[in-house]
Amino acid sequence: MRSGTLHSTAYDDVPYTRGGAVDRTEVGGLVQSAVDGDAAAWKALVEGMSPLVWSVVRAHRLSDADAHEVYQTVWFRFAQNLGRIREPDKAGSWLASTARHECLKVLKSLTRLTLTDDPQVLDRASDDRTPEESLIDSEEAADRAERVRRLWQELEGMGERCRQLLRVLVASPPPSYVEISAALGIAVGSIGPLRQRCLRRLRARMDARGAA
Amino acid sequence: MSGDDGNGVPPEGADEADGFLPAGADDEGVPSDEDAGDAEFAMALLEEELRQAATVLDPVPDALRQLALDAYALHDLDAQIAELTFDSLVDALPVRGVTDPPRMLTFRAGEVTVDVEVTEGGLIGQVMPAGSARVEVLGGPQTARPVMVDTLGRFTSDAPPAGPFALRLRTGADVIVTEWLRA
Repeated sequence: MRSGTLHSTAYDDVPYTRGGAVDRTEVGGLVQSAVDGDAAAWKALVEGMSPLVWSVVRAHRLSDADAHEVYQTVWFRFAQNLGRIREPDKAGSWLASTARHECLKVLKSLTRLTLTDDPQVLDRASDDRTPEESLIDSEEAADRAERVRRLWQELEGMGERCRQLLRVLVASPPPSYVEISAALGIAVGSIGPLRQRCLRRLRARMDARGAA
Repeated sequence: MSGDDGNGVPPEGADEADGFLPAGADDEGVPSDEDAGDAEFAMALLEEELRQAATVLDPVPDALRQLALDAYALHDLDAQIAELTFDSLVDALPVRGVTDPPRMLTFRAGEVTVDVEVTEGGLIGQVMPAGSARVEVLGGPQTARPVMVDTLGRFTSDAPPAGPFALRLRTGADVIVTEWLRA
């Protein structure tokens, strides 16, 4: 959804502010409208928050089956609690935190952790992804798709802390630090420095790869 | 604004922004404010690239998004929610020698308690106080399966939940739904 805005976005956002603050101002209003029976408002909530919920689930490296169930559980519970959520403005944090708790429960229920060294998951990027294929309609686009794919591979290879933070950080629209905090159980104040460090490491990995 | 807008900050041009790298990773020492601005700019750019990657390579599956849309039907202001007050997965101490104990759940809404045991064979449960409650097992926005309840409030469902589930209890005009849960 943001393709083509890369450069202008980066320039316009200096000093860099989290876009989430802008995108999420209407959340409280949407929740209220949905409570009042406005299906379009519910749809807007799903469209706007699904990527955040999904990112939390993916950050915890659940199996596909578990990931799907947690995602559903979170949305079913959100629908069930609509109108009872104390701070509708913070619905994003509510969703993120519910997703996190469900993920942790799943991990607890597994007798052994299935760490995703699973080549199928790591190779997901190269699988039959139609959005990716649609990118490849020119040589330039192909180069860019390749870089995007390598970026994703490097992310997958990072330490858990960075991989989790970056996966949730780059949900679209960008989540606020409060939402990230709810998603990962880390202090809001530590997110900025951690983000810096992790992005730096990621770039170092990309540079090393390019030099190799 | 960061210092040099004409720079375009290609990956190579971002080298001087590496003043933030940990010791050993660069040889520039303490970064100046300008370097800090450039570094942040480069980071923002990388973050945005990563965001595109996430959108393209790991999007929310369409079927899941649709389920979330459909979940609006589960919104029922008139129903009371029975909250999970005990979950063996979280609250029970492990029993030595028992590798795969059944999941025991307790939900409570006011005076009403629902105990549920989830096994491979399905659900076994009991509503207390026993009354004339009708019970349905919900499996999603479109799935509701009624189960028989005996005079003691006991009920059995011989199909294990295939995903998240909830129980809906109706006593007279009252409706109670248990908190949605992954079995």
